This record gives sequence, structure tokens and C-alpha cells, in this order.
Amino acid sequence: MSMVVVVTENVPPRLRGRLAIWLLQVRAGVYVGEVSRRVREMIWQQCTELCDEGNIVMAWATNTESGFDFQTVGKNRRLPVDMDGLRLVSFFPEAGENAL
Amino acid sequence: MADTPYLPLKPLMMKDRVSMIFLQYGQIDVKDNAFVLIQENEVRTHIPVGSIACIMLEPGTRVSHAAVKLAAEVGTLLVWVGEAGVRVYSSGQPGGARSDRLLYQAKLALDDELRLKVVRKMYEIRFGEAAPAKRSVEQLRGIEGARVRKTYELLAKKYGVEWKRRNYDTDNWDLSDVPNRCMSAATACLYGITEAAVLAAGYAPAIGFIHWGKPLSFVYDIADVFKFDTVVPIAFKIAAKNPHNPDREVRLACRDAFRAQNTLAKIIPMIEEILAAGEIQPPEMPPESVPPAIPPAESIGEAGHRSK
Repeated sequence: MSMVVVVTENVPPRLRGRLAIWLLQVRAGVYVGEVSRRVREMIWQQCTELCDEGNIVMAWATNTESGFDFQTVGKNRRLPVDMDGLRLVSFFPEAGENAL
Repeated sequence: MADTPYLPLKPLMMKDRVSMIFLQYGQIDVKDNAFVLIQENEVRTHIPVGSIACIMLEPGTRVSHAAVKLAAEVGTLLVWVGEAGVRVYSSGQPGGARSDRLLYQAKLALDDELRLKVVRKMYEIRFGEAAPAKRSVEQLRGIEGARVRKTYELLAKKYGVEWKRRNYDTDNWDLSDVPNRCMSAATACLYGITEAAVLAAGYAPAIGFIHWGKPLSFVYDIADVFKFDTVVPIAFKIAAKNPHNPDREVRLACRDAFRAQNTLAKIIPMIEEILAAGEIQPPEMPPESVPPAIPPAESIGEAGHRSK
């Protein structure tokens, strides 16, 4: 069993309701829970299949050096990057935008 | 707008950190209080600077003043390294943040009898047996050198790597053979976290016991205690695969080994244990001296961190 956090953006209401079956919605689109690996994978499958045009990130506690790992589905300007085994997130500006 | 209160940053203990991160090609700066790497096309990556033991800056990085200040406040060592982690230059934290530790270390290193005790302890921990009696530091170093060469040969054989000798040319990095390149990349990782630990504990990296006369003599002394259990087997294992990108593979494997063996939590206690072999106490504050006018802030970090 390990702690899991799911953050959803722009996902259909049927997935929001579905996630609330196993996890606690602490803020709009932010779900927290303590689940086993099997349950986590089952939840992730639901996420990927019901995601539609939205995007989701799931993070969970595990035995990596940082103590957690995460995965994403859907399009988001924040993308995971691997820095020699340490996973971080890069923020990409929108195409054509000279963002600050 | 209401005045926001000033909240000082607190450095974390070494054991609560991730070992290292290598950064290349980009501007390292502070944006909205966060430590960021800004790459081409404005791509930004946040670096969790306070949760890392040391940040290895590779060629192609530029660091801003604000970023260096932030790294210093959270007690994270910045190490400027050359291609593939071969050390070029290092800074970030000056050594010897604690005069009692520094004087203790210097006293142990200056007195031949005490130094021998410390060296014998290092020998004992590395080889799992007491050092032969009545040997000088010089003789012990000879024995150690022979054992180390033998260990290299045995490990090379075990992993099926052709090994001539430890050799590299920092000016012509690409000319080194693959096993030596892997070995350099692996030891660079270990030296980085060891230096961070030595500084965090409040000791001076230059005051060594077996090694002498280099800016990182003490770092090499301490790293040698861990080297053959952690990074040397990794270097041979990776070299045997002859991968396309040996440096990256080595770093991944080092990260795994440091985590599996809990290396970050072990280094500082090991330093204390080795120095304790001298059987002297760190100096007390002389009665006529004065403590700082403004007492230092309470710290949740390591003794050597300049906590606010």
C-alpha cells in the first residue's frame, strides 16, 4: 500500500465521479488515497480510458531515490523529463508564444 | 498589499536528500523563488534544490547570483564539473564552517601518532580486518595500493572487462578506454556526494590523512572507504556492456546503488567514526573567547550548513 495523488484537468464528469469511488477529492480535480499497486494500476487504466481531451497526472510513493514516481496522460505543457534517472518536469511555452 | 513575513530557508539533513543531479546547457536562475534550469526556447525545469545533496554543473551551464545564493541557503553543494563529470573546478560552500571540527581534524592530521590511528581505522573499515601492527602510514599506503590494484583486477575479471590500469588524461578525455571512462564517471558521482557530506559535517575537504596536498584530499580518503562497495563494481558492470552512452548509464546505476546502500545516510557517521579512532575530543571553547554576538539560528540541517 502506498499513497497516491491524482490531479485531473479538463476530464469528463464521468471520470471525476469514477475516481471519487476510490479516492478522496480534496480540491477540484485533486484526488488522494492510499492504495495497493494493483488498485493503482486499475485506477490508472480507468484514467487513460476515460480521459478524453483532458489530461491527468498520477503520483505515488515508491522505492525510488526521490521516494515517489509519477505518470501522465493527455496533453499538458508540463512534460516529464529524465535527468540521469531523476524524474523532473519541464514547462514548455506554447508554440509561437514568447512566454516569460 | 499586506507585508508577507520573512521565512528563512532551512537546509535538510544529508540523509533526507537525493544524491545528485547533472545539469547541462542552460541558464540556472531563480524564478518566483524556485531554482530553475532555463533551456532553449524558454523550456523551464524546476530543480528541487533543497532536496539534493549536490548539483553537478556540466559545460554549457550559466548560474546566476540569485541561484548560487539560494543553493547556499539550503546547503546544497554546487560542483562545476567537466565533460562526463571529470572534475574541473568546484565551489559552492567553503570548507570548515565549524572551527571546533576544523581544529579537531587538523589536530588529528598534524600529530603523527593520531594520524596513524585514523589511517589504521580507514584501513580496517575498508578491508574488514585490522591493519598489520607496527606499520607506518607509508607502509600502510603501500599495502593498500597493492590490495586496490588486486581488487581492480578481480572485479574486472568478474565482469569480463579488459583492464590495464587506472589511467586517464583529463586533457584528452575521449582517448581513455571505456572502463577508465566509466570509472571516472562513477568516482565523480561518489566524490560529489562525499564532498557535500564532508562540508555539511563541518570538516575541511583539503585536510586528508592518506591523501595529501590536494583540495579534496579528505574527500578522497572518505570516498575510498565506500568506493569498492559502490561505484567500482558499477563502472566495470557498465563497461562490460560497452553501452552507447556510458556516462548516463553509470549515473543511473550510481543513483540506484546510493539508494540501495543508503550511502548518503552513512557518510557523515562514517567520518565521525573514523576521526573518533584518534581518541581525542574536539576542542572546547577557550574561556577567554567570546561567542557570536547574535546566537546562530536553530538548524534542522547538518552542523556545517550555514543555516539562517
